[in-house]
Amino acid sequence: MKTSPALRAGEVAAKRWARGGGRVGRRLRAIAITFTLGASHLGLSRFAGEVLCALIVFSIPAIAADEDQDLNLIPPAAQAPAPAILPVPTSNAAQRNYVEDAFTVTPLRNDLLVPYPPPTPASWEDRLFLDSRDEWKLGNNVTLDYSGRFNLRAANDVPFPSHESVRNDLRELFLGWQPNDSTWIDLGRVNVKSGVAVGYNPTDFFRTRAVVEPLTADPTILREDRLGTLMVLAQHVWTGGSITAAFAPRVTLPTAIYTNTDLPSFDPMLDRTNAQDRFLLKGSASIANGFSPELLLYHAGDQTQIGTNLTVSIGQQTIAYVEWAGGEQASLIANALAYGRETGTLPRQAPPVIPTNTTQYFQNDLAAGFSYTPVDTKLTLNLEYHYHEVGFTPEDWRNWFNAGVQRGNIPGVAAELWYIRSYAQDQQEPETRNSAFLRADWVDAFVTDLEITALANINVQDGSGLIQATANYYLSRAWTIGAQATLTFGGRRSEFGSLPQAGGFLVQVVRYL
Amino acid sequence: MLPSPRAFAAALLIAMAAAVLPAAAQTPQEIVASADKVRNPGQPFRSTDTLTEYISGRPRDQDQLVVYAKEDPGTHQFRNLVRYVEPPRDAGKIALFDKHDLWFYDPSSQASVRISPQQRLIGQASIGDVLTVNFVVDYATTLLGDETITDADRQRRLCWHLDLKAVTDTAIYNRIEYWVERGSFQPVKAKFYSDSGRLLKILYYREYREQLGAVRPSEAVIIDAVDSSLVTTIQFGNLQFRDIPEAWFQRDYLPRLRAE
Repeated sequence: MKTSPALRAGEVAAKRWARGGGRVGRRLRAIAITFTLGASHLGLSRFAGEVLCALIVFSIPAIAADEDQDLNLIPPAAQAPAPAILPVPTSNAAQRNYVEDAFTVTPLRNDLLVPYPPPTPASWEDRLFLDSRDEWKLGNNVTLDYSGRFNLRAANDVPFPSHESVRNDLRELFLGWQPNDSTWIDLGRVNVKSGVAVGYNPTDFFRTRAVVEPLTADPTILREDRLGTLMVLAQHVWTGGSITAAFAPRVTLPTAIYTNTDLPSFDPMLDRTNAQDRFLLKGSASIANGFSPELLLYHAGDQTQIGTNLTVSIGQQTIAYVEWAGGEQASLIANALAYGRETGTLPRQAPPVIPTNTTQYFQNDLAAGFSYTPVDTKLTLNLEYHYHEVGFTPEDWRNWFNAGVQRGNIPGVAAELWYIRSYAQDQQEPETRNSAFLRADWVDAFVTDLEITALANINVQDGSGLIQATANYYLSRAWTIGAQATLTFGGRRSEFGSLPQAGGFLVQVVRYL
Repeated sequence: MLPSPRAFAAALLIAMAAAVLPAAAQTPQEIVASADKVRNPGQPFRSTDTLTEYISGRPRDQDQLVVYAKEDPGTHQFRNLVRYVEPPRDAGKIALFDKHDLWFYDPSSQASVRISPQQRLIGQASIGDVLTVNFVVDYATTLLGDETITDADRQRRLCWHLDLKAVTDTAIYNRIEYWVERGSFQPVKAKFYSDSGRLLKILYYREYREQLGAVRPSEAVIIDAVDSSLVTTIQFGNLQFRDIPEAWFQRDYLPRLRAE
């Protein structure tokens, strides 16, 4: 017998409920079919019976027993509104204080092609520090902001206590004034950061010399402990756009690059941030749905650079970004040697140990990449390409190693060679022209509250690189423990294989206050 | 005189048709829109959301967020600014959600990073769960039928059972099963599915009370469907209407957002 659509609909619905509604659904289905059969006994046409059946099926609500079983997943403790297990915070959310202890062991290479000049990097170090950020309201629309880190430091080449083992990093101290809802003026030491890339930020112009003593190679963490610049900054925002202007005056002369053994105790280190007049103008505007390019103009000393930051969202999982800056500059080698001579680290009349072009011409800095979050994961990947035109070319690297191998024993040659690389680190710029950067961040990795971060910085010219993996476990709202392993790899004539540090191991404990 | 069987059947048909007419009068999209109005007021507002995390039945941690929400008059979707208050390691972090413009600001690094829509789902009670969202904007709805289910307050509720499929690329979840109480339009339960069709979360709305001019849910219970030992409750507290300037919804404003 051919079954009519209405009966099929009724039975399909009844069967669905039987599946979804368990015993109650099966009973409904039986009632529906019984009603259909019973209708014919009442003298109704079979069609009317089927229509009645369908109406009953659709008008009587299902009893969703399976759905109710989801309630059993709610634990008894969560059946009632959650009790406050923490005091409701009343403090200013801008405040954040924590104490951290970080112990680092650094295995050193002893077969360097180019000998590393003294002082040798510490093979172990322990740092205990109090990191503080706070903001106080001084009056109507006026605030005082402080950010700093007080360090106690012990290492195998630093006597304790000494002026190198006690240090305060004054990151920020400024007065903020908000004359109206959309305008701010800041005066004091301010950290101004720019850029959309993760591994390298060509437009982050105030980064130079600002990182005092890094615990990690992770660029996102390096940004956490860097010095601000003494400046006056004005910012105005409006719907879909903003403009920022900052002027940082020269207040001291440039100074030599610090080493482990000449870190000051209580010194704002303005020589690192305010050794020349600097000016920044940047603005952004929303010109399309989700597309707000940022343009930057930066002037420092006698050099001007322009830059841009672009991001675009591609689908649900990907963000692509490009960060570019350009301006007239000499090469990294020429800049380093000039700075060394200016600050007295290198003899003024010393000839360059490796050939370089001292001419200034338009040079490009680029970081281009994307972030990707796979579906159904808590993993975020970043892959970037970095182009630093003033950095070492393959020929520069060959010259650097040849000079070290052939003349490294001549007093001053190895020191000058390594000075060039120290200068790049101090300036927070890549040493090499072409590099790749990969970062992976996995939240709730394996277990809840375990976060694993891994990164790789690869010199694509010689294949050497740095790999670092960090695991942080959030024990509670106040305590975090972590461990980190770093490895540098590559041949003896490579950027990372020539470093004195073969890697490193770090354990840390953090207590939030 | 007893009515003839045919007259009885006709009367029964009419009666039954009348019984189902109220459902037919509301389109599925209208049901979702009405439920959106129960969850979300029409004016800009802020709330303080407390998230309590339970692992294997025991409360483990509690987070607190302040959410600023304002409806975009053009898209009728909400823009959200979320400021983390607790735990201390996250205090001061800020997230912006405005259509395709999603940014995350960390005061430690003082850097803003653009995030993808998928990153809204990272975390057990992900940031996507505290956002004010009008489902009707991002989803096309099909009515699956009526069901009586038990809500999180152990009350039986006669609900519309709706199936929501994402139609915009700003939708947080690819698909939602949604139970909305007939008559009151109060959301009772939702199941959220990923792009791959995987059931991610089961959410119950509960503790309905008068807030911001209407009876609204003051708490949500979220069961992690992937690891059902994880349950999070979100209490929507301290709701206040608040004027929120348009200029707030951009990346460069994030470092300027202060605690109130």
